[in-house]
Amino acid sequence: MSLAIAGMGWVTPLGTAIDLVWERLIAGEEASATTISEEFACRSYAVFRVPESVLKHVAHARLRRASAISRFAAAAGLSALESGGLKIDATNAERVALIFAISNGGVIYTKRFYRDIVNTGAESASPLLFPETVFNAPASHLAAILGITGVTYTLVGDGAVGLTAVKMARELMENEPLDYCLVVGTEEIDWLLCDAYRRWRLLRVAPPIEPYGKQNGGMILSEGAGAILLARDGRILIECAHPGGYFSRRAEAEELLKHILCDLGQTEIDFVISSANGTFVDLAESHALQRLLPNALVYTVKPALGESVGAAGLWQVILAAEALRTRELPPVLHADPKVPMRLSRSRTVIPYARHAIVLGCGLNQQAAGLRLACD
Amino acid sequence: MNDPARVAVTAAGVVSPLGFGLAETLESLQSARDCVSPVMRFSVTQCRCKTAGQVSDSRLLSSPAQVERSGRLHRASHMMIEALQELLTQQPEFEPELTVVGTTSGGMSYGERYYRSLQRAGDLRHAATWIANYPAQKPVIDAQAAFGISAPCEVIANACASGTNAVGHAFECVRSGRYQRVLAGGYDALAEMVFVGFDSLQASTPEKCRPFDQHRSGMVLGEGAAVLAMENLELARRRDAPVLAEIIGYGISTDNFHITQPEPSGSGPRQAMQRALENAHISAADVDYINAHGTATLFNDAAEGRAISALFNGVPVSSTKSMMGHSLGAAGAIEAIVCLLALEHQFLPANINFSRLDDDLDLNIVANEARPAAVRTALSNSFGFGGTNASVVMRKFPPSSGLRGTGDA
Repeated sequence: MSLAIAGMGWVTPLGTAIDLVWERLIAGEEASATTISEEFACRSYAVFRVPESVLKHVAHARLRRASAISRFAAAAGLSALESGGLKIDATNAERVALIFAISNGGVIYTKRFYRDIVNTGAESASPLLFPETVFNAPASHLAAILGITGVTYTLVGDGAVGLTAVKMARELMENEPLDYCLVVGTEEIDWLLCDAYRRWRLLRVAPPIEPYGKQNGGMILSEGAGAILLARDGRILIECAHPGGYFSRRAEAEELLKHILCDLGQTEIDFVISSANGTFVDLAESHALQRLLPNALVYTVKPALGESVGAAGLWQVILAAEALRTRELPPVLHADPKVPMRLSRSRTVIPYARHAIVLGCGLNQQAAGLRLACD
Repeated sequence: MNDPARVAVTAAGVVSPLGFGLAETLESLQSARDCVSPVMRFSVTQCRCKTAGQVSDSRLLSSPAQVERSGRLHRASHMMIEALQELLTQQPEFEPELTVVGTTSGGMSYGERYYRSLQRAGDLRHAATWIANYPAQKPVIDAQAAFGISAPCEVIANACASGTNAVGHAFECVRSGRYQRVLAGGYDALAEMVFVGFDSLQASTPEKCRPFDQHRSGMVLGEGAAVLAMENLELARRRDAPVLAEIIGYGISTDNFHITQPEPSGSGPRQAMQRALENAHISAADVDYINAHGTATLFNDAAEGRAISALFNGVPVSSTKSMMGHSLGAAGAIEAIVCLLALEHQFLPANINFSRLDDDLDLNIVANEARPAAVRTALSNSFGFGGTNASVVMRKFPPSSGLRGTGDA
């Protein structure tokens, strides 16, 4: 079965238009960090945020009370449909599936809802906030905006969940009488997430993220959404979706990634969009890549855009598609020159690029991969 | 294109307020036991509802399956381990290529503990453990790791439809031929935030849970975990695996009426059921029993009841949530097992606490007592926030095969 990317959209800390953000990445730009402060302690965190102004055009009755995570998703999803030239109406609403990739979910409203309970008891719990705390709230808002009446799924997981969602889309397109599948990944930032990742020793105090470094200096969180519209035909193909798996201990991540790369690397691979983010993921990925695909160019966007967890996989797929389409890769920022990998260290032209791997290794034990091809 | 594969359930495991394992679950179902009890896990003094279907902690943590497990794991993980242990006792050689499960809140109560400690400057020495065990996918990973299963996991969070979505998607994966063996299921553990959330919506009741009753006043929550081994039927028979039931159809729909309320006419549930019947290549008249979503809220039961009576003519219907509460992401998987037991043991599970059918509905409710019946085909419904609707159709597989550990009814 042929599965192709027919449209793409994203919301990132560097902007929302695919072309413009791509140009900025190619030029070596990175998002500006802002700080977010803890509510109960004098601690602040550097984060890459999406400017509120970029969402002004996303207005719909269903989004009036929705959290940022739903608005990011709606903006990216609508943009992917527009770029794919798809209009959903009563004649095709059942033939379009919607799959969401969610990791931390609507943490802002969840925290607010629970804070009221802790502060003043159950009587103060807001019936307006509660529905927005549910993992599939963003998907239900977008389904309502688009009028999708058929298949809607929300998948939860870690940073690899976006790739798992693409794999699920492939399964659905095989089974169901579907013409399109819109896959959306989304994430919002809150200080509570920063505190949680800090306690896990995965966060760094300030940029830059230094990928593949020996120190595992940590990551900077970011937010936004990515969306791809999948169809039967198109120039950029999802050639293979590897189911991946999970690792019980961090030390086992490398073996799982090798397994994924071994399966996806049956064809000559021109480049890999890695998920390296300054944590233990980097070492696992670099060892696996050096072992199995030593000649492939490697790129990670996370030093430029941060770690967007639920949105990250879709951002990576969009980057792989853009790189295959334009046949060049942006520079990997802030990587130590001594890193023994074939990194895209500057704007790199890849004139005959035909195959790319998108590798996703999450922070909560999951990993997955995709192989994309340019027709 | 090859003919679609037939899909067998070859083993199952469950832990719920009805009991630990298939045998206890069957016994509770056949005696129409009310397994709802006062909530002791957190304070409910300010809530309208003060009861839930609950799984005993002392029993859960002392079971043989848990002896060597870390005490740090969340209750949802322990429940999944318990359920998977039972399944693997029936089918020790079952090695899924894929796992599809449903959940709504994973290890939520650990998230609550972490936040409460932060806000009140409490003891945060265990914060890293709480955070590590909070993610929604963690319980299924823990359960697989406990038994050396390495299958990749798809964790569906379609609110209260998640469990049925998981069973349905697993069915599609085997039927397509892409996979031969898929583990499907669902889990959720009671959490204060979720409990208070439903209470704030006035969806939960201070009284008994009375699905489809004229005087119904809302739901009670529950918890639990259930897993089903789903296999290519032909391959299962070739290796002489017992076939507990066959899954033959799955339907899904999305209605965009409201984030927490169904479209009043029941168009979403009707579409899901209709699609499941079409998918199974059967007519409504072929269905002998419907395990309804039946939360006992005013709007949900009205919409589902209208949808059922629009499609079916007098089919026996019950909501087993009346006995065990609504276990959210686990509900669809647990109720698939309820259907499996009904098919295997030829009885109709009861809809308890029932006195009089809603005047606006036309349903054949299995009121208050389970009863023997010829059940060849059963349909199970789950509907959730966000307008997600899912139905699966299961069929008794001849020749009749006894469920291991349950004895004969």
